[in-house]
Amino acid sequence: MLFSSITFLFYFLPIVLILYFLVPKKLKNAVLLIASLFFYAWGEPKYIVLISIEIVCGYIAGLLVEKFREKKVSKLILFISSMIFIGCLVYFKYADFFISNFNAITGLSMGLLKLALPVGISFYTFQILSYVIDVYRGDAKAQKNPINLALYVSLFPQLIAGPIVRYSDIAEQLSNRTHTLEKTYQGIRVFVIGLGKKVLIANSLGELCNAYNGRIESSVLFCWMFAIAYGLQIYFDFSGYSDMAIGLGKIFGFEFCKNFDYPYISGSITEFWRRWHMSLGTWFRDYVYIPLGGNRCSKPRWFFNIFVVWLLTGFWHGAAWNFIIWGLFFGVFLVIEKLLLLKKLEKMKVLNHIYVIILVAISFVIFANDNFKDALTCLSGMFFMGGLPFVSHEQLYYLLSFAVILVVAVIGATPLPKKIVSKIENKKVGNLIISIAEPVFLVIVTIVSTAYLVDGSFNPFLYFRF
Amino acid sequence: MKEKTRSIIVVSVMAILFFVVSAVCIFKKADDYSDSERRVLAKMPEISFQSILNGKFMSDFESYAMDQVPMRDNIRGIKSFNELFIFNKRDNNKLYLSDGFISKTEYPLNNDMLDKATEKFKFLYEQNLKDKDVDIYLTIVPDKNCYISEEELRLSVDYNEIKEKMIKDNEYMSYIDISDLIDIDDFYKTDTHWKQENIVDIAEKICSEMGTELHSEYEVAELPDDFYGVYYGQLALSVTPDRIKYLTNEEIENCVVTSYATGMPKETTVYNFDKAKSKDPYEFFLSGADPLVIIENPNARNDKELVIFRDSFTSSLAPLMINGYSKITLVDIRYVQSGMVGNLVEFKDNQDILFIYSTTILNNSTAFR
Repeated sequence: MLFSSITFLFYFLPIVLILYFLVPKKLKNAVLLIASLFFYAWGEPKYIVLISIEIVCGYIAGLLVEKFREKKVSKLILFISSMIFIGCLVYFKYADFFISNFNAITGLSMGLLKLALPVGISFYTFQILSYVIDVYRGDAKAQKNPINLALYVSLFPQLIAGPIVRYSDIAEQLSNRTHTLEKTYQGIRVFVIGLGKKVLIANSLGELCNAYNGRIESSVLFCWMFAIAYGLQIYFDFSGYSDMAIGLGKIFGFEFCKNFDYPYISGSITEFWRRWHMSLGTWFRDYVYIPLGGNRCSKPRWFFNIFVVWLLTGFWHGAAWNFIIWGLFFGVFLVIEKLLLLKKLEKMKVLNHIYVIILVAISFVIFANDNFKDALTCLSGMFFMGGLPFVSHEQLYYLLSFAVILVVAVIGATPLPKKIVSKIENKKVGNLIISIAEPVFLVIVTIVSTAYLVDGSFNPFLYFRF
Repeated sequence: MKEKTRSIIVVSVMAILFFVVSAVCIFKKADDYSDSERRVLAKMPEISFQSILNGKFMSDFESYAMDQVPMRDNIRGIKSFNELFIFNKRDNNKLYLSDGFISKTEYPLNNDMLDKATEKFKFLYEQNLKDKDVDIYLTIVPDKNCYISEEELRLSVDYNEIKEKMIKDNEYMSYIDISDLIDIDDFYKTDTHWKQENIVDIAEKICSEMGTELHSEYEVAELPDDFYGVYYGQLALSVTPDRIKYLTNEEIENCVVTSYATGMPKETTVYNFDKAKSKDPYEFFLSGADPLVIIENPNARNDKELVIFRDSFTSSLAPLMINGYSKITLVDIRYVQSGMVGNLVEFKDNQDILFIYSTTILNNSTAFR
C-alpha cells in the first residue's frame, strides 16, 4: 500500500488512528503491529511469511547474543543471523543479477529465478541487522517483548521506504513514548507537506521524465531537462515519502531520524551525501565504514574502505550495473574531494554549487538508465556531443508546460520557503497570518493531492524497487 | 498565536477533513456509472482466499476506492484547474482548453498505424472493389487540434504529413482535400466532432469531386438540451456547453434508414430523437456509429449509390450527401470484421466508394477490425 493512495488516506489510516487512540496504552503496540502487517500484506500477501521469519530470527538472535555476551558464541550467532538476513536479501534481490552475469561470463544459460522483489526488503533487512549488531555491541538491550521487536521491523510508516531507523535510536520509544497535541500537529504538517511533495511535484516531474523516455526527437535542452527533472523527481519522491513516514511516526508518538536536509544546496559531494538519504549514509558509516577501519588507517586502506562503502551503497539501490557505477561515481569524487578539492570548494560561493548540481545531474542520468547506452546517449546530448539540435518544437512545448512546476521544484528544494515562513512568523502580525494560513494551506494541499490521486494520474514510487 | 492554539486548530481541521471523507467513502452507496467519463465505475470486489493471495482483491479495491470517492467529478475538476491554471501546464491528461474549446492531443504521428490503416483499406479493395467499375475516393478529416495548434504552441500530428503519406500509399484512390473548408468554429467546443450546420460546403465539395452536384435547401433546427461533449466530462471543468443544431428538409425526413447495430436490421430515421437524450447525444445523427447503416432516398433524382467506409464524423455528414444519391451505405470497420464486409454490402459497378476517416482514427488504427 502506498501512502499516496486513496486506500491509505481514507480507509486504512483513519481506521488505524481510531483504533490506536481508543485502545489502552498496553495494547497500542499490538494495534500498530497488526496494522503494519496488514499494510505490508496488502501489497505482498505471500511475503508476509518472509518478514515474519526474519523477525523471529532477529528476536531469537538478539536474545542469544545477549545471553552469550562476551563469549565467542555470540559472535557466531551474530554471524549466522546476519548471513540469514543478508542471504534473504541477496536471494530475493540480487540472485538474477548474479546468475545473468555468471551466464554472460561463462556462456552458460542458467535459468533466472524471476522472483518478485519483496517490498521494503532492503530497508527492513538493514533494520534487523542494526538490531542484532546493536545488541552485540552492547549499544542496546535485547528486546524481550516479541511484539515490540516485530513492531520495530514492520512499523508501517517506515516499513517500505525508510528512514532506516536504527534500533538503538528507537528502543526506548517502543515501550515508552508520548502522544501530545503538539506532536500530532507537527506530524500532520510534515505528513501533508510530504504528500504534496510526492503527489504534486514528484509525480508531475515524472510525467516530464516519461515524455523524455517516449520522445520522438531529442535535443540538448531535452537531455538537460530530463537530467534536472529526474534529479528533482527522485528528491521530491523520496524526501516526500520520508516526510510522510516521519509525520506518521510523530502522530503515533515516534521520533524518526531526518532523512533529507536540502541536499541540492550542498557545496561539495561530501556535503551532498551528508544531506541525502541520511539514514542510509549513517547506517553504512556505522556498520560498514567504521568497522572496516574508517579513515584511521593507511591511505590505500582508507580509499579501499570508501570504495567498498560506495560499491555497496550503489548496489543497495538496485541489482544492476548502473547502480554500482552510480555508487562508484560518487566514491571517486569523494576521494578526489578528500585529496584535492574539499578546501577549495569550501572557499567558493557559486561555482561549488554548480559543480555539485552538474555532477549530481550526471549521476542521476546513470541512475535512471539501467541500459548504459541510454545513459551515454543522454550524457553526450547534454554536453553537445550527440549531434543533437539545441531545441525543437516538442521540447519547447514541454519546457513551457513544465516551467512552473520546475521553478516550484527548484525553489522547494532549497530552504528558502522555510526561511520566508520563519521570518514572517517572527513578527506578531505575521505569526497570526501564518496561524490562519497554515490550516488552509494544509487542507488545500490534501484536497489537491487527493484530486490528483483520484484522477489516476502518474503515481509510481521510485524507491519501491529498492 | 500560541503553539497550543495552532495545534488545536490544525489537528481539528485535518481530523474533520480526513474522518468525514473517510466516513463518506466507507458508507456511501457505490455509483454504477460516471456520466461525465462515460464509463462504468469499479465495484467493490468480491473477497476470496484466492483473490487475497494473488493480490487481485487489493488491486481491485484500489480501483474501487479511486472510482467511488465522493464528489469525484468536482475533485477531478480541482486537478484540471490546478494543472491548467496554477501549474500553467499546456494540457491536462492531453486535453487542451483554449477560448472555451476543448481539444485532445493527437501526438505523435504513428506511421505504423497509418500503414495498418492502408493495409486494411487495401484488403477491402482487393476483396470487394478491385473487379468492379467503381471510383474510389479518400478524405481525411483533420483533428480539431490541428486548427488550434496553428495559433498556439501545441503538440499535434501534422495533417499534411498524414495526407501525403496516405495519398502516396493508396494510389488507387482519388484524394479529396477538405482541410481548407474547416476552421475551429466548425467543431463543437466540448466534443471531438464537427457541427452539422457548418459542413454543408464539405458535403458539397466531396460530392462534387465524386461527380454529383447537391441541390438542397435546409431548415436549421436545434435540440432543446445543452450538449456536453465527450471532452467536457474528461476535462471536468465548467465550460459553456454546446447546442446541437441539425439540418433537415422533406427529402431527409422521408429517407428510410436501416441500422444493423445488433446484426439484425432495424428501421430508424436520419435523426434519432431518443438518442439525443442518451449518454452521447451526438448519436442523434444516424443513431451513432453502427457497423452498418443504409440510408435510402425515395425522392432521389438518380439511381446512384454511395458506399462510405467511415468513422463517427460521417454520421452528421452523410445526411447532407443523400440529396445526390438513391442509397448511401455506411460501413464502420471498427465494429465489423473487414472480411465480413463483402457479405453485408452489395458492391456494384458505377457505385461511388468513399473512405473518410479522421486523423485520430487513422493514427490509432488498431481500432479497425
